[in-house]
Amino acid sequence: MFTKILFATSGSPASDDAARVAFDLANRYGAELEILHVTGVPTRAYSQVVKDVRTGEEVSIDENYLSCIGDELRSYYEKQLSPFTGSCKVTIVTGYPHREILRVARKSGTDLIIMGASTKGEDGKFYRRGMAGSTLQRVAKAARCPVLSVHRPHASYWGGIGSVVFATDFSKPASAAFTFASNVAKEMDAELFLFHTLDIEKGGMGRDLDQDEIENKILEARKRMHSAYVTQMPADFKKWEIEVWEGTPYVEIVKFAREKLADLIVVAHHASDPDLEAARIGSTMEQVIMRANCPVVSVNHSDKL
Amino acid sequence: MAKIMIVDDDQNIVTYLTDIFTDNGYETCTASDGSEALEVVKTEKPDLITLDIEMPDEWGPRFYRKLSQDPEFKRIPVVVVSGLAGNKYAIPKAVASLTKPFDPAELLGIVKEVLGE
Repeated sequence: MFTKILFATSGSPASDDAARVAFDLANRYGAELEILHVTGVPTRAYSQVVKDVRTGEEVSIDENYLSCIGDELRSYYEKQLSPFTGSCKVTIVTGYPHREILRVARKSGTDLIIMGASTKGEDGKFYRRGMAGSTLQRVAKAARCPVLSVHRPHASYWGGIGSVVFATDFSKPASAAFTFASNVAKEMDAELFLFHTLDIEKGGMGRDLDQDEIENKILEARKRMHSAYVTQMPADFKKWEIEVWEGTPYVEIVKFAREKLADLIVVAHHASDPDLEAARIGSTMEQVIMRANCPVVSVNHSDKL
Repeated sequence: MAKIMIVDDDQNIVTYLTDIFTDNGYETCTASDGSEALEVVKTEKPDLITLDIEMPDEWGPRFYRKLSQDPEFKRIPVVVVSGLAGNKYAIPKAVASLTKPFDPAELLGIVKEVLGE
């Protein structure tokens, strides 16, 4: 399922929870793991002088410097690296984090990018605080492969994927997300929950829908889930369930995943949505990533599925 | 051969549905109340259940709740066949809800589609 995983790390505690998932997934599924750290942001174009993202100082980049950082990173992850049986590569580059992550992912033929959702709360860092996950936003928007992010310390997991929640709004990117979710569920022999939220705020057109209307729409949505997704599933895969709840999408998704003790939530990314609000990850997707009790995968394109 | 279970306290409906299904090549089994339906499911292991809502001892939704809590049987598709108004809201996870008197052709169409024929 995953042959090449790219773990993009800040090399700091902010990425620890994502690290746990990255090492566990790579080990469990025998994937090649590439650990990428973007260490310096250029101060001027074509310059060898960069600003070290951790110290904020200007340094000159040379082979030595990069390899020192590589060693630091290896020792930071020593506990996970020593029992790691698969192939693991450490890549240190300079540049703008999101650009380098995308570049390396493309070059390495990555199937899955794993990263922490933000470095919010870390002091003295170059990374911008306050804007939750600007690197994640940009990576998720442009990546050709799924991007898995972990935001809360316990939104991590050990032990394999047994329960996958696929949250859909029936959009086109959601179909790509579905392909990913069902592939994962089938390969890991996990239960797959297909979940849709009936948005009662937006759908209400300024008035409260009465309950019969809501339940009618739920019934319609269930049928739509069936024809849009269940028909695409392999005939021998039976461990799926459809659920439609009314409410505010991100709230219902988080609650549902919590209820189903999900190991993974898969959502579509609306990068190409003309509605800027939806395209900015600061919408249902961002809220789900920030609030979920488990890792969240955003799928944008069906290229690398 | 797919097996359909008919749950209804009205013996006429049970006979009628049994005839329709056997005429179309299905095996059938029946239960006349929600209270005995789960045992029948365990013995017969049907591929699809048609379920009445109003039954004297235990009504449809109560049986459905028990069915959906059983990991082996929770995925058996259920078609509600009932005379109760608003029956389509009674068991939201049913694959379809028909109101009596129902069109047998419509029911057969649903059954064929659900069983993937």
